[in-house]
Amino acid sequence: MQLPRGIKSKIGTLPGVLAIATALFGASPVRAGDGITLWYQRGGTPEQQQIMQKDLVEPFNAAHPTTPLNLDVRASGTADKQIRMAVISGKGPDIVMTPGPSTTLALAQSGHLLALDDYIKKYNLDKRILGPVLRTGEYNGHNYALPRTFETMVLYYNKTLFDKNGWTAPKTMAELNALAEAMQAKNVTPFSVGNGDWRAANEWYVTVVFNHFAGPENIYKALKGEIPWTSPTFVQAIDLLNNWYQKGWFGKNYFSLTDDQQALLLAKGEAGMAPNGTFNFDNMVAAFKQTGQELGIAPFPSLRDGVPYPTYEIGTGSTMSINANSANPDAAAAFLDYLYSDAFYDRISKDWPGDWNLPLTSIDEAKLSKNVSPLFAATATSFSKAVAQGNFGYTTWTFWPPATEDYLIRGIEQVWLGQISTAEYLGKMQETFATEMAAGKVPQLAPR
Amino acid sequence: MRRCGAGELLRYPRSPLDRQNAPHLSLGFAMRFILPALLINIVIILIPALLTVAMAFVDWDGVSTPVWVGFENFRTIFADPVFFSALLNNIKWTLIFLTVPMVMGLAAALMLLVVRRGRNFFQIVYFLPVIIATVAVARVWQGMIYNPESGLVGWLKLHGIVLTDPLARPTTSLYAVATVDLWHWWGFLAVIFFAALRQVDSAQIDSALLDGASLLQLMRYVLIPAIRPTVTLMMIMTVIWSFLAFDFVYVLTQGGPAYSSEVLSTLSYRYAFYNYTIGPAAAVALVISFFGLIATFFYVRIQQRGGD
Repeated sequence: MQLPRGIKSKIGTLPGVLAIATALFGASPVRAGDGITLWYQRGGTPEQQQIMQKDLVEPFNAAHPTTPLNLDVRASGTADKQIRMAVISGKGPDIVMTPGPSTTLALAQSGHLLALDDYIKKYNLDKRILGPVLRTGEYNGHNYALPRTFETMVLYYNKTLFDKNGWTAPKTMAELNALAEAMQAKNVTPFSVGNGDWRAANEWYVTVVFNHFAGPENIYKALKGEIPWTSPTFVQAIDLLNNWYQKGWFGKNYFSLTDDQQALLLAKGEAGMAPNGTFNFDNMVAAFKQTGQELGIAPFPSLRDGVPYPTYEIGTGSTMSINANSANPDAAAAFLDYLYSDAFYDRISKDWPGDWNLPLTSIDEAKLSKNVSPLFAATATSFSKAVAQGNFGYTTWTFWPPATEDYLIRGIEQVWLGQISTAEYLGKMQETFATEMAAGKVPQLAPR
Repeated sequence: MRRCGAGELLRYPRSPLDRQNAPHLSLGFAMRFILPALLINIVIILIPALLTVAMAFVDWDGVSTPVWVGFENFRTIFADPVFFSALLNNIKWTLIFLTVPMVMGLAAALMLLVVRRGRNFFQIVYFLPVIIATVAVARVWQGMIYNPESGLVGWLKLHGIVLTDPLARPTTSLYAVATVDLWHWWGFLAVIFFAALRQVDSAQIDSALLDGASLLQLMRYVLIPAIRPTVTLMMIMTVIWSFLAFDFVYVLTQGGPAYSSEVLSTLSYRYAFYNYTIGPAAAVALVISFFGLIATFFYVRIQQRGGD
């Protein structure tokens, strides 16, 4: 019995088919004339994707019809890894979006990103982006990444609940303690927090105690390697955080609550405050809209004498770079020019306040208030002013090297659950940090 | 030596006796069949496997030039207490999956064999969770069952039954994740065992029943011995799959809280894609492969015995 000739010939051509399939799956970089690509790394609901199309893609493409932007929204959580893998294999999008400077650093060190200095000069981006934030993208005297988000930790609170009880937003540690005790006496959870859908939320609270207890000056020294993370000030900061957890300030369901649930608990008045990022403003507004209560925002209190109030820690939750293998770097730079324009900022802050909080020098409360809620306008402006005046701290997700950051996130759970002591936690953090510092993985800091 | 056509190839070899008289294939003809699969195996299995072995001996962040460090990566993982807790979790996971779904699958298969009415319906119902996407299953359990605000746990709390989210407690997180995977998995075993049971010679079953065997006796002395090769294969594959467990753990807990549900594959992933330390990640992957290799060794031995 013989196989039919057709099948035999198909078997014979299988290697050829495989070769074609391999060529198809190994997507090549975008060629000149095809436009430019951006893989949006943080995911987005259908509504948010529509906003990006309307505010980001359509206006840019209308102005640059020969080099249109192709936006590919990728799922949050894994997209940063996909982008990194694509870029280091010489492929990937023209505009490289990363989750922060520590990721950018490795790509810049290995020559996968284009130095942006000439484009920064051409488009005056150094005058349009706040200096201390812009410098987070520097490596060896060149800038490789522009900060897309400009975020900080603030204290959200339920203003309706506060007004009803005659409470005011705390500015000091003593006030915060008194307030939390008063809340617990009324069966109100002091902090609506949780990591049910985002384990890395742990680092928000470490960021808070490091910046508002140990203070930005000490963090700066530690990140420079001048003092260890085991210094008494950091020990006291972590002890303080652990104390909050043990006293029940974080509620009973910290490891279960999702972002939406935390916002809703605060909006219902079951919790009084929420240390959270400006990036969650949208969530908070949506939750308060559901309950009809009023949202309040204040800078996080100073937790120790000598730490100024207000202090805003700088966070760059994502950055924008140009792929060294891009066939259209000029078009990619033109996109960055549009991204950091007042025109785009006005559009996006109206439709999606919080996430696209670009660190523009032109942010002005009066102008912003026309488009966004006065709360957001006041917070964004106050944050910008503080940074411009040099009164800023450091978020762990922006300035810590990757392995140290990962340990900081996981290890703090061991402290909270009584598995290790503060000294052990910080000892391991210092050990990991020292290794990464020696390997050149700590993002460069601008002088204070 | 004579060459054979494809028709003869399809009949080759049926038995050891056939093998002695089997026609010899021309190398060129045989290669046309072997080459595609061989190429795929080389490109997507052999080369990555060899690269993983090589990476276990270098210091590399995935971007820069790798530097040879010998056994340093193994020293790193053996000095990490999380490695041993993850290994222990994998062993616990294996023991759970070697027992609970096996028993459930066998019991359900027996019921399907005995009760003919609605058999097709129940087969579909048992198998349904297997074809639902892992992330969807995990999110449903996380949000609609375990969650203390939106899930069954939260609903019970409203009715005076206070439970805690098992994913949130270090003592229960691994079992909570395993429960979700069990729910997703056991139906597959039920269907496989049922298919095997249907192949058992009905004369054997009739004889046993005529001899007055009870259902348990029938199971113990006739059915299970008859499907032992299938059960053994599933047990060996369970060992291999248990050391590859990743998806449910990653989606539900990411190894937390406090590393309590960390398994070797999530640890390897964390080393590679959070810490950007590819060397220790590859070293952990080799440990996983080692356990898979042991299971494969037993599998091959059993197969050989069966073939002889």
